[in-house]
Amino acid sequence: MVDMEFTAWFGKIKLDSEGKIEDCDFFDKDPEKLAKLVVELEDDVQAVPLKRADLRDAALECGFVELDEEYDILLRDVCIRAAKSQISQTDTDDSRIIQAVQALDDIDKNVNELSERLFEWYGRYFPELDMTGEELARFVSAYGSRANVPEEHRLSEKASQSMGAELSFADEELLRAFANNICSLYDTRRYIENYINTSMGSVAPNLCNVTGASIGARLMSMAGSLQKLAAFPSSTVQVIGASRALFKHLRSKAPSPKHGIIFNNPVIKNAPWWQRGKLARALASKISLAARTDFYSGELSPSIKEALDRKLESIRRANPNPPKRELQTKPQGKGGKKTHRGKRKGGKR
Amino acid sequence: MSVKELHRGIYELDINDRKVLATKNIMPGLSVYGERLIKDDGIEYRQWDPSRSKLGAMVLKNFENPIEPDSTVLYLGAASGTTVSHVSDILTDGLVYAVEFSPRTMRDLIQLCDQRPNIIPILADANKPQSYAHIVEKADVIFQDVAQPNQSEIAAINSKYFLEEHGHLMLSIKSRSIDTVASPKKVFKEEVRKLESDFDIEFEVLQRKELDPFHEDHLGLVARMFVDDEE
Repeated sequence: MVDMEFTAWFGKIKLDSEGKIEDCDFFDKDPEKLAKLVVELEDDVQAVPLKRADLRDAALECGFVELDEEYDILLRDVCIRAAKSQISQTDTDDSRIIQAVQALDDIDKNVNELSERLFEWYGRYFPELDMTGEELARFVSAYGSRANVPEEHRLSEKASQSMGAELSFADEELLRAFANNICSLYDTRRYIENYINTSMGSVAPNLCNVTGASIGARLMSMAGSLQKLAAFPSSTVQVIGASRALFKHLRSKAPSPKHGIIFNNPVIKNAPWWQRGKLARALASKISLAARTDFYSGELSPSIKEALDRKLESIRRANPNPPKRELQTKPQGKGGKKTHRGKRKGGKR
Repeated sequence: MSVKELHRGIYELDINDRKVLATKNIMPGLSVYGERLIKDDGIEYRQWDPSRSKLGAMVLKNFENPIEPDSTVLYLGAASGTTVSHVSDILTDGLVYAVEFSPRTMRDLIQLCDQRPNIIPILADANKPQSYAHIVEKADVIFQDVAQPNQSEIAAINSKYFLEEHGHLMLSIKSRSIDTVASPKKVFKEEVRKLESDFDIEFEVLQRKELDPFHEDHLGLVARMFVDDEE
């Protein structure tokens, strides 16, 4: 009868064609070693015979373990070790960048909120101050009360004649501390941005080259990893970040989105509206190419960017003027529209 | 407080006329995901929130639960282990193999496995049963909650490799992850048809019911693998 071999977590099993055990070759009962083997077998998938003896039966029959409980305890130990080692290997370069991108978004959200609060709060004491955001935070942290604004400062006159209330010492300290925190958030933000720029250069040089570090990192973050981004078709890359518009398009008759977050690339942002869709399509296709090159080779290949620039130029040249909008052939223009809307309201959406 | 056993290992507690689903805590004193611990007569129960667990919802929807205290369960899509912890409570004399694909959620699941003696964690893709066939033994019950577009294929292929003859398959089908646009009813019908006739193993669907109001657009399903051995 034809023999089949199959590696289980505790050893190699030889089966006959009926799936019955002919022979069994154990591994050492060392949990650490067994765990390593379990991980290897998961990555390097073996052919598994459908007709095969049950693993537990095999282990008991061949005497690898004597009791059910022993099987359970050892298997559990091995699998927990295996899973832990697999988890610790998941901290990859792109996962670090993705965390950084998300931290950046969190900081942006929070710093805006805090800055607005500082604007409202400090405005009670110096309403003439024409600053917001980081500038305001730096000002408050430097001077505190408007009485401390030095004479040579451009705002010293406004400060001395302000209609704002007097700021008590305790409140001044509090506001300064608050402003200090906001300043340090802005510092951290810059720090993270630098980190993303430098690590994107080494993790995804082509992506950086084609669309810039920050959009590249953002695309990676939304895709989930560089690998996933590389696996996406470029039509998906084109609309990453426009999921609401995309699903609206799929569900109803809404027009399809032309661009997702790649819109933030100046190529598209600064283009006239009639070129945007075409440019976005070209850009997305090169982004896909860049992501794939980054994931599979990691080498910078300048030809991608060059080809993109040529393509963009030819699109611009081919479409210099806005297309004429076709007149809608609706009877009686406005009136028709109105009844249409009225109809929609009650019906299914 | 009164305690009623709905099924082996699954209880309905009546606390001041409020009915609460619960399992007996096999690790007394430890709450897994912030659920309430309820003591009665020296026995500690863990409250089981059906809106956070497909299996919990299935129990309340009067599904015939094939999981017995001595079963071996293959749980596909274990996530952070909310439901797995209750399965582990039920399996006082059994074992659950918990397969999860995402390393992030596996991080939480591992903490649970460290606490409990009857959960075997497996970080693998349920699409590729060959990649964990060296670990998993034959199972009495396969429970699957994977939210993947090819859920029924996953169920079929795993049953083929791991389900005991006449073993049970419990499925939670999320229509939104198969087709975001189509109507759930249509999707469910198609999935059941696939399960009954598309694969080289046959299933006999014993029960199917939607899991609302606990989970929207989800179908619960219990099937038995059909084996014709005498050929």
